[in-house]
Amino acid sequence: MSAVLRMAEVTRVHGEGATEVHALRSVSFAAHPGELVAVMGPSGSGKSTLLTLAGGLDGPTSGVVSVEGVDLAGVGAAGRARMRRTSIGYVFQDFNLIPALTAVENVALPLELDGVRSRTARAGARAALEEVGIADLADRFPDHMSGGQQQRVAIARAVVGDRRLILADEPTGALDSETGESILRLLRARCDAGAAGVLVTHEARHAAWADRVVFLRDGVVIDETGADHADALLDAGRIR
Amino acid sequence: MSVRQALLALLEEEPRYGYQLRAQFEQRTGSTWPLNVGQVYTTLTRLERDGLVEGAGEDGEGHVIYRITDAGRAEVANWFTTPVERTQPPRDELAIKLALAVTVPGVDVGAVIQQQRSATMAALQDYTRLKRRAAEGSRREDLAWSLVLDSLVFAAEAEVRWLDHCEARLRRAQLERPEALLEEILAEEADEEASR
Amino acid sequence: MSALASWRLALRLARRDAMRHRGRSVLVLVMIALPVLAVTAADVVIATQEVSGVESLDRRLGAADALVEVPAGGAPMLQAFDPYDGSTSADGVPADHEPPAAAEVSDVLGGVRLLERRQGDVYLRTDDGVAYVWATEVDLRDPLTRGLFDLGSGRWPADSSEVVVNREVRDQGYAVGDRLDLVGDDAPAPIVVGIAESTTSRTMPVVAGPIGSLGIEPSEWSGPAWLAAGGDVSWAEVEELNALGATALSRAVLADPPPDSEAPEEIRAWSSGTDDAMVAAIVLIVVMALLEVVLLAGPAFAVTARRQARTLALMASAGGTPAQSRRAIIGGGVVLGTVAALLGVALGIGAGRLLVPVVQHWSGEWFGPFDVPWLHLLGIALFGLVSAVLASVVPAWIASRQDVVAVLSGRRADTRPSLRSPILGVVLIGVGVAGSAYGATSGSSGEFAIAASAVVAVLGMILLVPVVVAGVARLAGRLPLSPRYAARDAARHRTRTVPAVAAVAATVAGVVALGIAVTSDEAENEGTYQAMLPMGDGAVTAYDLTPPQWRDLHGAVAAKVPDADVVLVDGLVESTSMAEPDARSYYLETRAPGVPRHQPLLSMMATTFGSSVLVDDDMPEIVRGVSDAGRRRGDAALAEGRVVVFTDRPVDADRVVLRPSWSTMDDSGNLPRATVPATYVPIDRSEASASLVIPPAVIDRLDLPHAPVALAVSGGRITPEQEEAVTEAVQAVTNDGGFYVERGYQADDETVIVQLVLAGLGGVLMLGGTLTATFLALSDARPDLATLSAVGASPRRRRWIAASYALVIGVVGAVLGAAVGFIPGIAVTYPLTRGWDPEVEAHYLDVPWLMILGVVVALPLVTAALVALFARSRLPLVARVD
Ligand SMILES: Nc1ncnc2c1ncn2[C@@H]1O[C@H](COP(=O)(O)OP(=O)(O)O)[C@@H](O)[C@H]1O
Ligand SMILES: [Mg+2]
Repeated sequence: MSAVLRMAEVTRVHGEGATEVHALRSVSFAAHPGELVAVMGPSGSGKSTLLTLAGGLDGPTSGVVSVEGVDLAGVGAAGRARMRRTSIGYVFQDFNLIPALTAVENVALPLELDGVRSRTARAGARAALEEVGIADLADRFPDHMSGGQQQRVAIARAVVGDRRLILADEPTGALDSETGESILRLLRARCDAGAAGVLVTHEARHAAWADRVVFLRDGVVIDETGADHADALLDAGRIR
Repeated sequence: MSVRQALLALLEEEPRYGYQLRAQFEQRTGSTWPLNVGQVYTTLTRLERDGLVEGAGEDGEGHVIYRITDAGRAEVANWFTTPVERTQPPRDELAIKLALAVTVPGVDVGAVIQQQRSATMAALQDYTRLKRRAAEGSRREDLAWSLVLDSLVFAAEAEVRWLDHCEARLRRAQLERPEALLEEILAEEADEEASR
Repeated sequence: MSALASWRLALRLARRDAMRHRGRSVLVLVMIALPVLAVTAADVVIATQEVSGVESLDRRLGAADALVEVPAGGAPMLQAFDPYDGSTSADGVPADHEPPAAAEVSDVLGGVRLLERRQGDVYLRTDDGVAYVWATEVDLRDPLTRGLFDLGSGRWPADSSEVVVNREVRDQGYAVGDRLDLVGDDAPAPIVVGIAESTTSRTMPVVAGPIGSLGIEPSEWSGPAWLAAGGDVSWAEVEELNALGATALSRAVLADPPPDSEAPEEIRAWSSGTDDAMVAAIVLIVVMALLEVVLLAGPAFAVTARRQARTLALMASAGGTPAQSRRAIIGGGVVLGTVAALLGVALGIGAGRLLVPVVQHWSGEWFGPFDVPWLHLLGIALFGLVSAVLASVVPAWIASRQDVVAVLSGRRADTRPSLRSPILGVVLIGVGVAGSAYGATSGSSGEFAIAASAVVAVLGMILLVPVVVAGVARLAGRLPLSPRYAARDAARHRTRTVPAVAAVAATVAGVVALGIAVTSDEAENEGTYQAMLPMGDGAVTAYDLTPPQWRDLHGAVAAKVPDADVVLVDGLVESTSMAEPDARSYYLETRAPGVPRHQPLLSMMATTFGSSVLVDDDMPEIVRGVSDAGRRRGDAALAEGRVVVFTDRPVDADRVVLRPSWSTMDDSGNLPRATVPATYVPIDRSEASASLVIPPAVIDRLDLPHAPVALAVSGGRITPEQEEAVTEAVQAVTNDGGFYVERGYQADDETVIVQLVLAGLGGVLMLGGTLTATFLALSDARPDLATLSAVGASPRRRRWIAASYALVIGVVGAVLGAAVGFIPGIAVTYPLTRGWDPEVEAHYLDVPWLMILGVVVALPLVTAALVALFARSRLPLVARVD
C-alpha cells in the first residue's frame, strides 16, 4: 500500500552562519494508511520540525515531503493550506483551540475554511465530536472545558472531514496519564480505521501505542522498532 | 513471591479446589507468573497445616474443595494492608551490563543503550497491544489483568527512561572530557583513512 | 515597601516594557503626541500672531514714551493700563469742557516735548476707481516716530507737500515722484517721495506724511494726539491726563503695570465679566478632546495590561497588593504620557515655527516676535500626560482585580461585565436627553446646556458599549467565520475593544450632532430666504452713472439678453458713489397719518433696484407681491397724481407724510416735510422691492432729484453666460455697479465645506480608533491565527479577520454614536434655528441622512476595506508561537 506521508532525505536548517542549526539532517520517513508511527527523541532533537514539515507549515531546506502523493513544495502556500484543510490534521500539546469559538465551531473550522456551508460543517463537526465521545459539550467554549475535553475537541478537529494524515505533537504532554491514555486510544482507533498517524512524544509509554517507533537524535533517525526494516528501506528507496 | 497469600485471597472469594485456584491466578495476572499445579497443592497443604484453610469435602467429580478459616481471613487482611517491602534491589542484569560496558574499554556504550532501548520499546509495544486487547473486555478480571500489564508497561518505561538518562549522562561526560572527544575524532579520521 | 519605592519599581518596569514592545509604545505615543503637537503648534502661532501689550509698544509709540489721545472731545476719561483694552468717558461730563491743548498735556508730563500725530482715512483715485487708504500725519523725520514705519526706498517727506506710501498703494498705480490724487474738493495733492511699510498693517493701503500733507482734520471723535518724549510716564500722570479728557498709552505703565486694583472699577468689570461662557466652552472642548484621546489610547494600555496579566498574577500569588498591580500599569501611562507630552510640545513648537510664515501670508497684520507661551504649553503637556494616565487607569484597575487562578491557568478572556455600569449608562443617557430637552426649550444659554448634556450622554453611551459588544457577540453565531470570530473575540477582550468602539462612537456622535446642526441651520437659511426678484430675472444697479450713460448701458444690456424686457427704472437718488463725496444722497421717511411712528408701514423690504422710492406714471411691472386689484388701484392713483405707498398692514388713510433728508460723505440736513395724497396698496412683504411709487410730477414738485437708478431685466430666463456678458458690459462702464440675477437660494459654500471638514475629521478619528484596535487585536490574536493556519486557513484569512474586526468596531461604534448624536443634534436645532422674531414659531430640522449613512455605513466599510488592503497576508507559524 502506498504511504500517506513520505519524507525523503529531508534536511531543515534554521538560521545562517554562526547561528546555523541543523534541525533535521537527511531524514527519510514514511507513514502508511492504518499505521501509527511514533517519533521519539529528547527535546531539541527535531521532532516538532519534522511535524511542521509534514504538515506543510514549514518547508524543507532540501529533500521532498509529499502527502497522498502530492509534493508539498509544488502546490504553493495556498495549496498547502488546502491540504491542511482536507488531508492533514494537526493536534498540539497545548490544544490550540480558538477560545472565541465553541467546541463545535472549532471542529467545524477546517470544513468552514474549505467553503463548506455552515450548517453542513456543523453537522460534520457534531459527528466528529460524537466520535471522540463529547457530543454533549458541543456548544461549550474551550475556557469552560477540562484539558482532556479540550484535547478531544482538538482531535475531533484533526479528523473531521475524513482526513487521512494525523500529526500529533506531544498531544498528551499537558494531561495526566489516564486522560493521556484515552487520547492515545482515540488516535489509535483513528489509525485502525485507516488513517496514517504520526505521534511525536518523548514518553516511551505513549510511543508504545504506535506500530512503529522512530528514534530521533540531533535531527538524525538513529533507530526504528516494530517496523519491517526491509519494508522501510524499500519505501525510502522508492522515493529516491 | 507470596503464592500463599494470593491463594488465600482467591479462597476468600469462595471455596475452590486446587485446579480452579491455578486457573483463577493465571487469568488475573495474565500468565505473567506461571504456576504449576504441584506448587498449588503443596501450598494448600501448608495452609491447612497452619490452620488458615480447611477441607470442605469433595465435589461430584472428586475434587477436594478448600475453604478459608477465620485465621486465614485475618492473614489476607493483614497482607492487603501492609506494603510490599523493598528489600535488597533485585540483581539487575542490564544495570550490571551497562556498568561494565562503561568501564571496559572498546565497547560502544551508545550502541548498547540503543539496542536495549529498541528491545525494551518492542516489549513495551507488545504490552500495549495486549493492553488494548484487554481493554476490550469489561469483566473485573480483565481490569485486573490490565493493571498487571500496566505494571509491566511502567517498569519497561522506567527502563527506557533510565536508558535515556544514561545516554544523556554519557554525552555530558564526553563533553566534559575533551580528550575523549579528541580520541573519538581521531578514531573517526582513522576510519575514513582506512575506507579510502 | 514604601509607596515611593513601589512607584519607582513600577516606573522602571513600565519603562522596560515600553522599550520591549516598541510597536505598542509608538502607537500610544502617536495617539497622545499628535493632539499635543497640533494644539501646541496652534498655540504658538496664535501667541506669535497676537501682539501683546509690550510687544506692540514700538509699533504704536515709535520711540516715544507715551501716546496721548483725546478720544471724546475732552470729556474726562477712564482707561485701562492700555487704553485699547478699554476706555470710556467718565460720568458727569461738564458740557462746556474744552479738549485739552498741547500745552496742558505737556504741563502734566513735566513740560516734555510733544509731537502731534493725526490719523484718519482718505480716498485715493486709482486706476480701478477709488481706494480707501489709512492715513497718518506725523513728522516722520522726527526720531520719536522711529518704529512706526519702515522706509523701503526713497526718503522721508521733508514738508507737507510730500508723503510716503506703502507697497499696497504703489501696486495700485502710484510710484515715487507721482502726485497722489486724493478725492475731495480741496484735498491736497502731495508727491510720493518714498515707499514705507507700516509696522502694524501688512496688506492695508497706507499713506503717511507731515501734518497737513493729507488734509486730515481732527474731528470730535478722533481728537488730536501726541507722541510724548522725555522719560517715563507714570500711572499717576496717566490718571491726571484722564481727568483732562485724554487717554495715554505709556510705555512705562505697560512694561511694569501697577497692581490691577489701580485700574478704574468700571474698566475692570468689563474684562472680568465676559469670560464665563468662554471658560465653560473651553472646559467642554477640553473634556471632549481628553475623552477622545483617552479612548484612542485606551486599547493599547488594555493590551499592555493583559500582556502583563501573568506577571501581575504571579506578583499577586507572591503577595503583591492590588495597588502594586495597578501601579505597574499606570506606570506605563506615566512613562509614555511624559514622553508623548514632551515630544508633542517639542515638535509642536517646531511645527509652529514653520507655520508662522505661512499664516503670516494670510494675515493683514504684522505678527509680533516668535512667541512660545510656556505656561500654556505646560498645560497642554499636562493634558497629554493626564490623558495617558487616564487611558491606563481602567485597564490597571481591571488588572488589579483579575482572577489570579484564571490567568495562571492560561485563560485569556476578560472578566464578565458588571451590570451596574450599563444601568448607570442608561441613567446618564437619560440625563443627557433631559438636559438636551431643557436646552432646546430654554432661552439664551440653550446651546451650552445641550453641549454639556451631550458630553453626559456620550459618557453614558461609553458605559453601554460593553453590553452592546457582548450582545453583538451573542448574535454572531450565524455569521460566517471571520466576522463571527471577530465579534466574539472583540467581546472576550472588552478592555481593548470598548475604548476603541467608544472612541469611534464619540466621534460619530459629534459628527452627527454637528451635521444635524449645520444642515438644519442651512435649512433655516433656505427656508427664510427672500427672493429679491422672480426666478431668473435680474437687476443692474450702479451709483455713479449719468442719465446718458444709463441709456447707453440700457442698449448694451438689451443686446446681451435679446429675449428679455429691459426697463430703465427711475427713482429717488438714495446712494451715491464713494468717488464723489460731495454728491448728495436722499432719504425719504414715510408715515401714514394715524399710524404710530414705531410701526413701519412695511416691516420688510429689499432694495433691489437701487432705490426704495421709484418714480413712474403707472405701477412698474417689476414691483411684485401686489394683487391685480392692487395694481389697478395703484395705476388709477398714479394717473390721478397720487403717491402709491406699499404696506403690509391695514392702513386707513388717504395721505402720506413725507420727511425727506439728505446727506453727503460728511454733511447732512433735513428738507421740508410734505403731506401729499396717497393710496395704500397692500404688498407681500417677502416680495416687496420698493416702498413707494411717486409720479414724476409730484416728485418734481417736492423738489427731490430723481434719476435712473437701475435696469430691470425680466421676462426671459437669464442664462449664466448672459449673466456674465451683462456683468462685463456693466463693468465696462463703471466699477461701482453690478448685475444681480435671482437664482433662488444658493447653498453657502461654507456649509458644504463644514460638512466635508466634519466628515473628514470624523473619518480620520474613526480610522484612528478602528485601526489601533484592529491591529492590536491582530497582534493579540497571534495564537489563534497560528491555529487557523495549522488547520488550513489560507494566508488571506488574516485579511478577512482584520477587516471583520474593523467592521465590528466601526459599525458598532458608528451605530451607537449616531444614535447618541441625534440627541444633542436635534436639541440644538431649536435654539439654532429660532428666528430673531420670538413671535414667529420657527424651527427647522434637516437631518443629513446622506452624511449619516456615509458615516455609519460607508465609512466602516471603507475602513474595513483599507484594513483588508493593508493587513499583512501572512499567518504566524505555530512552531514559533509563545
Ligand atoms: N525557527 C527556528 N529558528 C531557529 N532554530 C529553530 C527553529 N525551530 C527549531 N529550531 C531549532 O531546531 C532544533 C529542533 O527543534 P524542535 O524541532 O522544536 O525540537 P523538538 O520538538 O524535538 O524539541 C532545536 O535546536 C531548535 O532550537
Ligand atoms: Mg517540540
